[in-house]
Amino acid sequence: MAKVTIDGIEVEVPNGSNVLQACEAAGIEVPRFCYHERLSVAGNCRMCLVEIEKAPPKPFASCAYPVNDGMVVHTDTPMVRAARRGVMEFLLINHPLDCPICDQGGECDLQDQSVGFGGDSSRYLENKHAVANPNFGPLVKATMTRCIHCTRCIRFSSEIAGVPEMGATARGENMLVGTYVEKALSSELSGNLIDICPVGALTSKPYAFAARPWELKKTDSVDVLDAVGSNIRIDSRGAEVLRILPRLNEDVNEEWLADKSRFALDGLKRRRLDSAWVKKDGKLTKASWPDAFAAIADKLAGVAGDRIGAIAGDLADAESMVALKDLLASLGSTNLDARQDGAALDVSRRDFYSFNTSIAGLEEADAILLIGTNPRHEAPLINARIRKRVLAGGLKIASIGPAADLTYKVQTIGTSPADIAGLLDGSNAFAQVLAAAKKPVIIVGQGALARADGAAVLAAAWKLAAQVGALTPEWHGFNVLHTAAARVGALDVGFASGKTLAQMLGGGVDVLWLLGADEFDTAAIGPNTFVIYQGHHGDAGAARADVILPGVAYTEKEGTYVNTEGRVQRGALAVFGPGEAREDWKIIRAFSAMIDKPLPYDTLEQVRARLVAVNPVFDRVDHLPRFGCSDLTGPAGDAQALSSVPFTAKIANYYMTDPISRASATMAACTDAHQSPSLAAE
Amino acid sequence: MHAFLAPYIEPYLGAYLTTLIVVGIQALLIVVPVLIFMAYLTYAERKVLGAMQRRVGPNVVGPFGLFQPFADAIKMLTKETVIPAGASKFLFILAPMLTFSLAVIGWAVIPVNDGWSIANINVGVLYLFAVSSLGVYGVIIAGWASNSKYAFLGALRSAAQMVSYEVSMGFIIVTVLLCVGSLNLNDVVLAQKHIWFCIPLFPLMVIYFISVLAETNRSPFDIPEGESEIVAGFFVEYSSMSFALFFLGEYTNMILMSGLTTILFLGGWLPPFGIEPFTWIPGPIWFIAKICFVLFFFLWTRATFPRYRYDQLMRLGWKVFLPFSLVYLVLVAGVLMVMGWLPHVV
Amino acid sequence: MAFLDRTARSLLLSELVSGMWLTLSYMFKPKATLNYPYEKGPISPRFKGEHALRRYPNGEERCIACKLCEAVCPAQAITIEAEPRDDGSRRTSRYDIDMTKCIYCGLCEEACPVDAIVEGPNFEFSTETREELMYNKDKLLSNGDRWEPELARRLELDAPYR
Repeated sequence: MAKVTIDGIEVEVPNGSNVLQACEAAGIEVPRFCYHERLSVAGNCRMCLVEIEKAPPKPFASCAYPVNDGMVVHTDTPMVRAARRGVMEFLLINHPLDCPICDQGGECDLQDQSVGFGGDSSRYLENKHAVANPNFGPLVKATMTRCIHCTRCIRFSSEIAGVPEMGATARGENMLVGTYVEKALSSELSGNLIDICPVGALTSKPYAFAARPWELKKTDSVDVLDAVGSNIRIDSRGAEVLRILPRLNEDVNEEWLADKSRFALDGLKRRRLDSAWVKKDGKLTKASWPDAFAAIADKLAGVAGDRIGAIAGDLADAESMVALKDLLASLGSTNLDARQDGAALDVSRRDFYSFNTSIAGLEEADAILLIGTNPRHEAPLINARIRKRVLAGGLKIASIGPAADLTYKVQTIGTSPADIAGLLDGSNAFAQVLAAAKKPVIIVGQGALARADGAAVLAAAWKLAAQVGALTPEWHGFNVLHTAAARVGALDVGFASGKTLAQMLGGGVDVLWLLGADEFDTAAIGPNTFVIYQGHHGDAGAARADVILPGVAYTEKEGTYVNTEGRVQRGALAVFGPGEAREDWKIIRAFSAMIDKPLPYDTLEQVRARLVAVNPVFDRVDHLPRFGCSDLTGPAGDAQALSSVPFTAKIANYYMTDPISRASATMAACTDAHQSPSLAAE
Repeated sequence: MHAFLAPYIEPYLGAYLTTLIVVGIQALLIVVPVLIFMAYLTYAERKVLGAMQRRVGPNVVGPFGLFQPFADAIKMLTKETVIPAGASKFLFILAPMLTFSLAVIGWAVIPVNDGWSIANINVGVLYLFAVSSLGVYGVIIAGWASNSKYAFLGALRSAAQMVSYEVSMGFIIVTVLLCVGSLNLNDVVLAQKHIWFCIPLFPLMVIYFISVLAETNRSPFDIPEGESEIVAGFFVEYSSMSFALFFLGEYTNMILMSGLTTILFLGGWLPPFGIEPFTWIPGPIWFIAKICFVLFFFLWTRATFPRYRYDQLMRLGWKVFLPFSLVYLVLVAGVLMVMGWLPHVV
Repeated sequence: MAFLDRTARSLLLSELVSGMWLTLSYMFKPKATLNYPYEKGPISPRFKGEHALRRYPNGEERCIACKLCEAVCPAQAITIEAEPRDDGSRRTSRYDIDMTKCIYCGLCEEACPVDAIVEGPNFEFSTETREELMYNKDKLLSNGDRWEPELARRLELDAPYR
């Protein structure tokens, strides 16, 4: 630790910190453009100048100057002020005065800092430098004339995203940041470039000119478009969600957000179900709530409990699932399933189906084995976390599954479940790596479980984990990586009992209640099965439904979601749902009252109390304790019955995985740009 | 007039009906000019106020805006009569009618020329005094019936104000009557044949005029209306024709009081000094001209003075005017007694 | 003596008389009234009347949807929605001013970086219905077209003081 005095405030910072970090620790704001705490230090904007005592009498770039014990720093001397004003004047030489048409206006570092630290007028009368605007694809809008050459975007793409597409050509005034050859950015984290750019050079294309930051209502919520549970801020105006930004949570998404979560929001405005529909004479017709309820009640009358089933979709909140579970229980049914892909998840123990190491815990791992998963597509932020661990050095990482570019080097040691056997018996060299590792991690993807021998893969992976010492009272290295935000929550409330999805299909039940379930083959539902679809988008499930009950999407309700780690988080209502759409648990509660079997809760608090009663983990909101594993008993499944059929990718198209992103025009444009046949052929 | 018409119609209709018809015609002959007079008083008020404020006043409707009163009348007639939900309906409608009728019936005893009055009664002054005092009922009823705090406040102020100023007015009139020796208005005028009472009783005339301003709720004593404090006072809830009736009543009352001032102090229909060429002009013209002169003072004071505060108004009435007029009454009586100028009662 | 003087003045109503004399003397002074619909008073170049959206001489609308006027408007009378026009430029898709909310403070005019929204010299824009006072972009642009020569002159006159 080094003792440093900043403007008379004494702070202790770790050795190797830079002066800027010491200033932050002292609570003193130092202006900066190029410095970013999660990126390498570039030191090229020169805005963070400070004066250091007993050093050469010149301003120092604090971001690039390491601290010494006993250093005395001044951040507000006449020299520092003059130096910063000079730097600001240089930065503004070629920066266009187009704040009024710039989307960054109002939340622009350059604007704020030029007010705070710049001069009051310009002395520059020459022509300004301007460059043509490159096309960076459907997500990021580039206006490179505004670029101040801080290189944050270059460092982000090469360090965090791991897709080193961005770079700078030429030097000095002629320096141009771009993709060398004009192309669409291919990273799943490209949206973060918008956040990271301190000026308006990189802005959001779908959000172009849509609103000013001061017009927006900001709602802290949780993302549901993948199972990471990224913390987000929903910016809305009126009844419209205009943009989604990441919210800092070091344990989950740090300050990043994946592109689908960020940009699929225009799907919330299309193909929405805004009133109830009832099928009459083979055609769906608009109906009122009471009519729709009456149609369901008529159908339910006289149906045996065992002939009723429910399937929860990937975006469902825990409240609506517990309500539906209780409703079916009151009707005498336990036929519940949330595993739409048929993944062979063992629900008998929570650590059989969750990401036990935790996302932040990945940074301690020293060997990682991926089984049948492509984290870059299934959970881009977990992939970024693995990459962060890779960059820290000393990590051995291997994969069994289809070859894919994960943005870091992975040793592919097999393609099929049978290759796990090679690790179990030690014939594969990576077995020794895992065994030697202090904190080995095994990550099983849904692609490995949603197949005929899924149970065997799960059992084999657990067995391997136990064998290589990944399961100790201090360290839990067995992980299931989910792709659906609702999945862990569904399993936590016990939404996997009675008949399975496969048994309910093909006429296995007479009445099937789909809670936003669209990700299975709806054609396989028996022709005489009465289907109730409760959800927010007119997708596969609604197309097959006999009655449609309009629910609301995640931005429109207070919902509890459990991410793949088992972290319970709560989303918030940012805008109200369209038309007649209502919060899902309320729909179920209202229906239960109509059939005279009222559920015992009237308020959100009561539903949440019921959730806690069903499973105490729901009481641990926003908090996930780290735990080890002391019971090595594996999940059910024959660890020997491994086939040699190769694993397939769970997600074919990262940009379209759920009803919201399938309805999104932005996501369609991304699909066009990245999944076009010529690219797919590669 | 009775003498003029009676020979022609009495044989056919009988004495009672003849009197009725004659009185009816006489009433019309008084009321219609008074109403037209009143209409043009509003016009004159706006013109004079405008002129004193360097404005033009109404000048759009007709030549010089002369048809403005009729435009206003038509507007009033065609507006909706709003009766507030909480109002006492009967009294609410009764009040403006009462106010207007009281202002009009006072004219029954006003002599326009020697003997030219509908009822030349011997207690004319008393009658007028009674009628003008009754005017407070219209205000009180309107304020109470409106069921509105502003209206009620306005009515209370009005009642107190009218009662206060009637006392000193009474003493002033008594002083005048001492000099006349009769309660007959005709006699009051004739008693001024040699000298108008405004000369010997000038201070009383000033006090009388100020009291009349207060009695008619005119500026600067318009606190029952007091639009800056209590919106419009007792008639805040009135609209359309019921409002117009209050308006008519107020202005008719102004004219009536001007007439009374003329009779008491300015020699009624008598020409000034009783010399030619003034005597060539007939009495009614003089009477009207004098009324106009007094009315001009009404408007002039309105243009000049700001509204009195309520307590100042009461102080002025009770602590200045009342003692002053009382002392003056005694003084005049003493002078008349000592000098032997007491009039001989016929 | 002063007491006598004051009492005499008070009893002789000298203050009332002088006051009435003043009003009477004003009665014969020339009138200040303008015969309004036919005569109009002079208007300052800074007069804040009816709003207008201006265009460039080539017909391109000036407004770039920066929303500064919307942000600065103390009465929140302005509503703007923007989207990229077909040529990619930033333009409003909606520019509404609720003239019944507007307090004619002129802050929108001052906030505008391109002199697009201005308050013109026109103060005679009363309407028969309330709805007509909800101005939209078309109305504002047509105001601009109608008043442009006047607006340009006013801006030029006021430019030295800006």
